Amino acid sequence: MRDLAGRLGYLVLAATAVAYLAVYATGLGRLPTAFDYLSILNTTLPLVFVAIGQSLVVLTGGIDLSVGGTVSLCVAVTAVAVTGFEQLPLVLAIGTACGVVNGLIVAAGRIAPILATLATLPIFTGAALWVLPVPGGSIPPQIRAVLTNPDLPTGLIWLGLAVAGWLVLRRTRFGMRVYAIGSDAGAARAVGVPVERVTFGVYALSGLCCALAAVFYVSTTTAGDANAGAPFILTSIAAVVVGGVAFTGGRGSAVGAVAGAAALALVIDVLFFAGIDPLYQALFQGLFLVVAVMLGSLAMLLRRAT
Amino acid sequence: MTSTAPVPTLHTFAVRATGVDRAFGGVRALRDASFSARPGEIHALAGENGAGKSTLIKVLCGLVAPDRGRVEVNGRVATAFQELSLLPDLTVAENLLLADPPRGRLGLVRRGRLAPEARRILERFGVDHIDSRAVCADLPVSHRQVVELVRVLATEPRVVFLDEPTAALPDRQVEWLAGHMRRLRDEGCCVIFTSHRWREIERLADRVTVMRNGTHVATREKLAEAEAVTLMSGRTLGAMYPEIPPPATAGPALSFSDPGGISFDLRPGEILGVGGLAGQGQRELFLTLFGAGRPARVTVDGRPIRIRRPKDAIRAGLGIAYVPEDRKAEGLFLPLSVRDNITLATLGRRSAAGFVRRGAERAEVAGIVSRLGIAGGGAAAGTLSGGNQQKVVMARWLLADARVLLLFDVTRGVDAATKHDLYRLVAELARAGKAILYYSSETEEIAHLCHRVLVLREGRVAAELPGPVRDAERIVAAAIADGEAHA
Amino acid sequence: MRRVLYAFGAAGGVLLLGTILHPGFASWPSLQAMLVVASFTGFVAAGQMLVVLVGGIDLSIPWVLNGAAIMLTTTALGQPGRLPYALLVALAVGAAAGLANGLGVAWLGVPAVVMTLGMNGVLQGLSLGLSKGLTCATCGSYAPEPLRGLFPLGALLVWAGVALLVTVVLTLTTFGRRVYAVGVNPRAAYLAGVGVRGVTVALYTLSGVFAALAGVMLVGYGGQPSLGLGDPYLFESIAAVVVGGVSILGGRGHYAGVVAGALTLVAVTTFLQAQRVPEYGRLMIYGLVILVILLAYGRTRAHD
Repeated sequence: MRDLAGRLGYLVLAATAVAYLAVYATGLGRLPTAFDYLSILNTTLPLVFVAIGQSLVVLTGGIDLSVGGTVSLCVAVTAVAVTGFEQLPLVLAIGTACGVVNGLIVAAGRIAPILATLATLPIFTGAALWVLPVPGGSIPPQIRAVLTNPDLPTGLIWLGLAVAGWLVLRRTRFGMRVYAIGSDAGAARAVGVPVERVTFGVYALSGLCCALAAVFYVSTTTAGDANAGAPFILTSIAAVVVGGVAFTGGRGSAVGAVAGAAALALVIDVLFFAGIDPLYQALFQGLFLVVAVMLGSLAMLLRRAT
Repeated sequence: MTSTAPVPTLHTFAVRATGVDRAFGGVRALRDASFSARPGEIHALAGENGAGKSTLIKVLCGLVAPDRGRVEVNGRVATAFQELSLLPDLTVAENLLLADPPRGRLGLVRRGRLAPEARRILERFGVDHIDSRAVCADLPVSHRQVVELVRVLATEPRVVFLDEPTAALPDRQVEWLAGHMRRLRDEGCCVIFTSHRWREIERLADRVTVMRNGTHVATREKLAEAEAVTLMSGRTLGAMYPEIPPPATAGPALSFSDPGGISFDLRPGEILGVGGLAGQGQRELFLTLFGAGRPARVTVDGRPIRIRRPKDAIRAGLGIAYVPEDRKAEGLFLPLSVRDNITLATLGRRSAAGFVRRGAERAEVAGIVSRLGIAGGGAAAGTLSGGNQQKVVMARWLLADARVLLLFDVTRGVDAATKHDLYRLVAELARAGKAILYYSSETEEIAHLCHRVLVLREGRVAAELPGPVRDAERIVAAAIADGEAHA
Repeated sequence: MRRVLYAFGAAGGVLLLGTILHPGFASWPSLQAMLVVASFTGFVAAGQMLVVLVGGIDLSIPWVLNGAAIMLTTTALGQPGRLPYALLVALAVGAAAGLANGLGVAWLGVPAVVMTLGMNGVLQGLSLGLSKGLTCATCGSYAPEPLRGLFPLGALLVWAGVALLVTVVLTLTTFGRRVYAVGVNPRAAYLAGVGVRGVTVALYTLSGVFAALAGVMLVGYGGQPSLGLGDPYLFESIAAVVVGGVSILGGRGHYAGVVAGALTLVAVTTFLQAQRVPEYGRLMIYGLVILVILLAYGRTRAHD
């Protein structure tokens, strides 16, 4: 039953995918084309990256509310400053720097993650507004062609790389320590895990993930907006939760969160093809979130009962 | 494992602490404590609960920094903690190999190798009954204890600290552990352990250090139990325990009959002891009676009653009260005032239209505080000493007019003088007609304070001894004799 | 209590700085305007504080507020006679949402972040859907005159009333005592016979009511509801609670501190506007102020 809770994300994604196929087929009288899949994939990629970073933080028992600000800042920088591939490292460095700030405040400043990142959120958002006061900017077509090509499944490669990156990370000592801290920080410290250093690293990585998300965001929307990151705060948390990562830390995986992100994106299409007024979209997303989590806690209860 | 360790000649000690002080909040856990142990010996640390043994171990292994004093260690240290340091959400294999996982090319952890590698380690220590792929939180406590010990032993340390390593172990595993402790000693390792069972200290230790009130009292090669108890408590045996008045002859205040194997009557004025080795269902019994475990059926004054939550048990007319061992987790609200702590369970009675009647409250609190001699009544509960904290919890239930008191290891972590106060309080409460169910991790207490003793094993009553038993060994013998018969 | 003084110290410091640089910054008309703006934060923060006191959090505030605001104007239809009924409906919406949050958290064991986040979505969807994106026939209604006439002094009296109510409930009643007990140590509270679940449900319900009240006051102030009316108040409420010295871990804090917290936040924003600091600078300084306050007294204790 522990496994069931851990696999919540995949089960939810599978169920959502089936629903998607069903409503698409009944609505249009045919199955979705490769183009449909690709456009879903490309629009989901930013959330996928933020969710991977968020799940790392949540696995240590923390939370990162500043993802909204970091994504906004990196979107702004990408839209304004990126004229070719050579500027992309700058964006990644800025995102990582935001994460480093969070990591320092949480690990060295001993401030609860939810408060630390609540305070840095407006700082990063402010910086984004400074870089890009009004929506605009652009991204070179050659970057678009590589990142989110609307005709070629390049997005699939990046998704694969993101998942592979996580699988590699999971197999480092750092990865094992992330789970150890989330499981019981005090005990982890007692057996020699450098809790502060790992915590710091996790927030830095979350910042890097936000930067990646920002690049993909600008690549799909072809323009920047200094408030682009705000929705990612709540959707990344939702993706992590639906993906079966335990809020108390120590249980779950970023791949689950990726599945959660994909499921959340698919739900929007399901609603669309089911002919539901898009104004009600948030209602169903909210219900989806709560019901998915209730299923998860139900699975945990059953496990305890057996 | 084949290398024979050279006996170090440079150092006559493996670990040494000199003049160490350490306080937590306002409580001084160590005061001017000194300790020294040699390589190639098994050294027992003895002392009552709260004597500072665990804190000393944490200071020696570097987990807690001393406020003052010096700590020296020669060689690699490994520690098995009393509150297990296993990570609950990780598998046995991940826990065993967290520090040094098997790695392949690129230095990546080979997750597929974790379980077999861990199985090899477990087998090396003769453990074949634990699945290395199991998640630790799912294992019974005795298995977790074994994993914790293997984790420590497998690092091939020069200094090993084992804090209460046998508390959750069945006899067979105690033998297993004893064998490994001796082997480590013979290889030149310094093994330091604490135990509540004097028999184990006698059998295993080359030397014993006795601690009391956070400081070093004596270090001996041979130490008889009677003298040890005197050294640990700071007073001679017998005088500590008050005379307990005979119970009333009235019908039972509470009857409990559990199909699982425990049933008893508890009369007003009676102190019924619950004995047995640690973790044999004592805690579950107490929580069940208080409605915090499985739903229970009890008979109070001849009326059958269902208890499903603490509220049911506390309700006037039933008046069951639970005083837990872990006051900080289960009894107290540390940042809140002593007053708030004491009156919480009886707020409804002292209120008008939902408002607390502060005058009445003040008078009642003042009365009970002076009656129990609680020092520091105006402050936050967290600033009080352990004994006074325990009295605060007792005061809460006395105000609630509890008729049945479930006292679960209430003297844990309490200094000797306050223990004495608590014993007298228990006797006095019995004299006042309260029915008392008493468990203590110090079997001595049960032997001297109780009219009758139920010895539990695996959640069942293994023996019932009429009391006062006086000789604690008889209770231990009953717990073990039965155990071996069942095993 | 010391943290409450710190919070007032912070508010006073900002006001003093403002007065030095802008004579008239702390004049009565200016102060009154700041207080009115702070009152909206004060209302939502009252509810947020109650759930934070038991270690929870309420992320459903934005759309509870927005939904209640829409409910009020579409029910009252601008007619003073319908105002009492509309008020009742609007506050009932908040209570219902809060009750559902509480039941989900206390009885079904859904983490507070998830339950209230989901509820926010549900209410957003319902608000948008039922009002057809605020284009429905009655959606153009204004808040009735008596409500709009409350500003500024009447609104401040309402805030004072809320402050008094919350403080009295928390410090003088049996319920208040139980709230702090649950916040400090839920297990011990349960073992002392406190109905932990009941207390939790009550607090979430109250949080919903206070968020709805903030919505009602905001449409009274602005005349008409808008979409996204409640969005700024989620983080603002948490910030006010934290700056006010309430421990995010639960069990510690007073509403007086939260009042000071709300004032500090509004004074900082107003001061920066007076200094003609552009929006990006206001946001960054706002975050830095919260950070400095956190570092001053929001740190968790070192590990023993």
